[in-house]
Amino acid sequence: MRRLRTWMLLAPGTLWLAAFFVVPMLLMLGASVLQRGEYGGVAPGFTLQHYRRFLDPLYLHVLARTILWAAAATVACLMLGYPVAWVIARSRRHRNLLLLLIVLPFWTSFLVRTFAMIFLLRDTGLVNSLLLSTGLRHEPLTLLYTPFAVLLGLVYGLLPFMVLPIYASLEKLDPSLLEASEALGARPTAQFFTVTLPLSLPGVIAGSLLVFVPALGSYVTSDLLGGAKQVMLGNLVQSQFTTARNWPFGSAASFALMLLTLVAVVLSLRLRERDAPRELAR
Amino acid sequence: MPIAEFIQVSKSFGPVKAVNQVSFAIEQGEFFSLLGPSGCGKTTTLRLLAGFEEPDPGGEIRIGGEPMGGKPPYERRLGMVFQSYALFPHLSVERNVAYGLERHRVAKSAIPPRVERALELVRLAPAEFARRRPAELSGGQRQRVALARALVLEPELLLLDEPLGAIDLQLRKAMQLELKQLNRALGITFVYVTHDQDEALTMSDRIAVMEQGRVAQLGTPAEIYESPRTAFVAGFIGDSNLLEGAGGRRVAVRPERIQLLPSGAQPSGGASLRGRVEELSYLGDRIRVLVLLADGSRVTALLHNEGQLTRPIPWARGDEVQLFWRPEDARPLEQS
Repeated sequence: MRRLRTWMLLAPGTLWLAAFFVVPMLLMLGASVLQRGEYGGVAPGFTLQHYRRFLDPLYLHVLARTILWAAAATVACLMLGYPVAWVIARSRRHRNLLLLLIVLPFWTSFLVRTFAMIFLLRDTGLVNSLLLSTGLRHEPLTLLYTPFAVLLGLVYGLLPFMVLPIYASLEKLDPSLLEASEALGARPTAQFFTVTLPLSLPGVIAGSLLVFVPALGSYVTSDLLGGAKQVMLGNLVQSQFTTARNWPFGSAASFALMLLTLVAVVLSLRLRERDAPRELAR
Repeated sequence: MPIAEFIQVSKSFGPVKAVNQVSFAIEQGEFFSLLGPSGCGKTTTLRLLAGFEEPDPGGEIRIGGEPMGGKPPYERRLGMVFQSYALFPHLSVERNVAYGLERHRVAKSAIPPRVERALELVRLAPAEFARRRPAELSGGQRQRVALARALVLEPELLLLDEPLGAIDLQLRKAMQLELKQLNRALGITFVYVTHDQDEALTMSDRIAVMEQGRVAQLGTPAEIYESPRTAFVAGFIGDSNLLEGAGGRRVAVRPERIQLLPSGAQPSGGASLRGRVEELSYLGDRIRVLVLLADGSRVTALLHNEGQLTRPIPWARGDEVQLFWRPEDARPLEQS
């Protein structure tokens, strides 16, 4: 009886994923090793040439840039997000308000917020108008369509995903552990690196994964804020399926992206296993 | 010179005065207990001493004669044992114990032998326990690690915040004895917070009984038990019968100091009251008799069972009895 109920509970979600995730994935996998069709789509004939194409320096460059930017966005989110999470975890009276402010950006669409960044960053945007009107600069600063703009957009969009898991692990931190370290002679800096940080590492790892993976696959941000020059892997996938009409290569690029994601997930799981307190080992 | 002094120390949390104008001194090497019910300010007093709280302006805390105002905990060089143990879950037992030594920049080569000695001091075999994580230890073992972690720094003052609260009774009795022995053997001053009067009486050289942020009475266990100053102290340390003494003054009489005599007996010299036995409880080594007085109040007498009481118990429910005690056993109380 209980087993039947378990299966019945699992069935809808499993079927959904099978139909709309596993099947398309298999289709993509098939497409990535077939010939390119003349007007999009695929033509028969097995080949690995679409994967081999990644060895072309042009695409290796895209790959490297994608990893680099995703990593940079993750580091920036960590640097900005950790102190914020710490303050929220420490505050008693304003905790709920602060958490609300963190998730407030989710109330509007990501696309709208990215367009808003354009208004902020373009040559006649808010930042440059301020710089020019105050006389700090005489020519507008080129902000839009630069790597900086892409990074800014990624960090802006993904910061909450870093703050929330770190907050969750800091909030669980037993205050008496901090007092114990103080009584044992730990100054604030030593206390942070020997107690607070190690015990919030699960949050740091989870947050980094939640930022790194979407950053790897992002294309709206790099498309709108980076312009045509700052192509990331996500943009490559998009363009292959739309303008270039090269479905097999687009599929292969998708799988390259998935491989990167998989590597990131496996690495983070490894880290977690190593550092998690062995509470279950009793 | 006392090792620690509280001079007119208060601590307010908003409108609540957790500690109210407290002054006392703790002597070098003694086992000093802060005893009281929850919310009496004993833990806050300990936290003030440790430096986790700052006293309100006007009060001063001295350690070794030196004023502690504004000095953070990590500069006070005290040992502290927490009720929740507060062991670092991500560090092994030996790294937990080494933690304080590392923070005080003890030479790397000197750390392992000192860790080993500290573990042996609290009777944990280093070979068996050094590599374990706190989660792999029992409650009693964790408490020993917490103790070793504090003692390894050889502090002059060890603060303990209800350290045995979460340990079962059998082990607690053994640990009480061990703590007392450590206190004597190491010459370290222990400041011990507890709500358990038995524990305080068993271990302490002196006890400060706290009530509503104030020290209600400070003295040796015998002084406090024999001459409680207020009704609160009389009731909190052991049991007491509160009675109206000569001249309308309130007195406290310990149940074991009350004798029961048959109705009509005329004892010479001493106070006596008439009543009726309402309840008898056979406790093995003692028999507790609840006597209802004519004015409706009740008095408890505790009779020691030295063999004379069993065959048969000389009293039964409903018996008219005479309660008798020596005048020096009726302790006058201050109005609190």
